[in-house]
Amino acid sequence: MHKDRAIWVSLAVLGLAFAAYMLRETGGAGWMPGCIFRKVTGLDCPGCGMTRGTYALLHGRVGDAFRFNPVGMVLLPLAMIGLGIEVIGWVRGKRLPFSLNPGRWGATVIMVVMIVWWVGRNVV
Amino acid sequence: MSWYYSKNGTQLGPVTEQELKAKGGSGEVLATDLVWKEGMPDWLPFGQLAEFQALGVVPQVPASGAMGSVPMPQSAAYPAGYTQQIPNYLWQSIVVTILCCMPFGVVAIVYAAKVDSLAAHGDIAGANAASKSAKTWVTVAVGCWLAALAIYAVFAIIAIAGSSIH
Repeated sequence: MHKDRAIWVSLAVLGLAFAAYMLRETGGAGWMPGCIFRKVTGLDCPGCGMTRGTYALLHGRVGDAFRFNPVGMVLLPLAMIGLGIEVIGWVRGKRLPFSLNPGRWGATVIMVVMIVWWVGRNVV
Repeated sequence: MSWYYSKNGTQLGPVTEQELKAKGGSGEVLATDLVWKEGMPDWLPFGQLAEFQALGVVPQVPASGAMGSVPMPQSAAYPAGYTQQIPNYLWQSIVVTILCCMPFGVVAIVYAAKVDSLAAHGDIAGANAASKSAKTWVTVAVGCWLAALAIYAVFAIIAIAGSSIH
C-alpha cells in the first residue's frame, strides 16, 4: 500500500466526480474547453460527442448518449474498468490477481474500430 | 531496469533492481530461482548473477545439483504467461484518446495493440519497444492536453479580467 499513490488517486477520483456533477448541472457550457482538435482542424476526434453523451447519460437519456459517440460510450467504461484494476494494483504495490485484458486479437479489433470510427465519422 | 523472476514455474514481475535485491535479502527469491531482464540472452539462476553476488544478498549457487528442481526455460523463449507481463497501455491509450481529445492517443492505441501480438510471436524486444512507444504517446497526449488546458485557462482569466475592467 502506497499512501502517496492512494492520495493522488483519491484526488483524481474526487476531481472526476466533481466534473461529472458540474457537467450534469451545467451541461459543460462555459467552463469546459471543448475539443482542441476540433477547434483547430474543424474535424471530429474519436472522443468528440463524449461530453454531450455523458450529459445525456447523467440525465438518463441512454439512447441519446449512444447516438453522440457510440464507440466512446462502449470503450470508455471498458477502459475505465481495465485501468481501475491496474490503478488499484499500483496503489497497493501488487497487481490484483485478475485483469481486464482483451488479448492480442481484442486489442487489434479495438484499434481497427477506433481508426475506422475516427475516419468514418469525418467522411460520412 | 525491470527484472522478472520465476517461482515454481510462475512468471512474476516486473520489479526494480532494488526490489529484487530486497526479495533476495528476505529469501523470497532464492539463489536457484531464475531471473531475467531485457538484454539478457537467457534466464539465469539469481545466485549466478555477479551484480547480486557482490552485494552479498544472495548465497552462492553450488556448481551442480541444486538447480535440478528448477524448470529451465528454453533459450530466450519465455515461460507461459510472460506476454501478460509487458504492459500494453491499451486502456490508458483509449482513455487519453477519448478524454483528452488527442489524436496522439490513436498512435498510442496502434502501438498498444502491437505489444501482445509481437510478444505472442516471440518478438519480446519488439513488444517491449512497442510498449515503450505506447507509453511515450500516452504521455505526449496527456502533456499536450495539459498544455492546451493551461493556455485555455490563461485566456479565460484574461477574458474575465478584461470584462471586469470595462
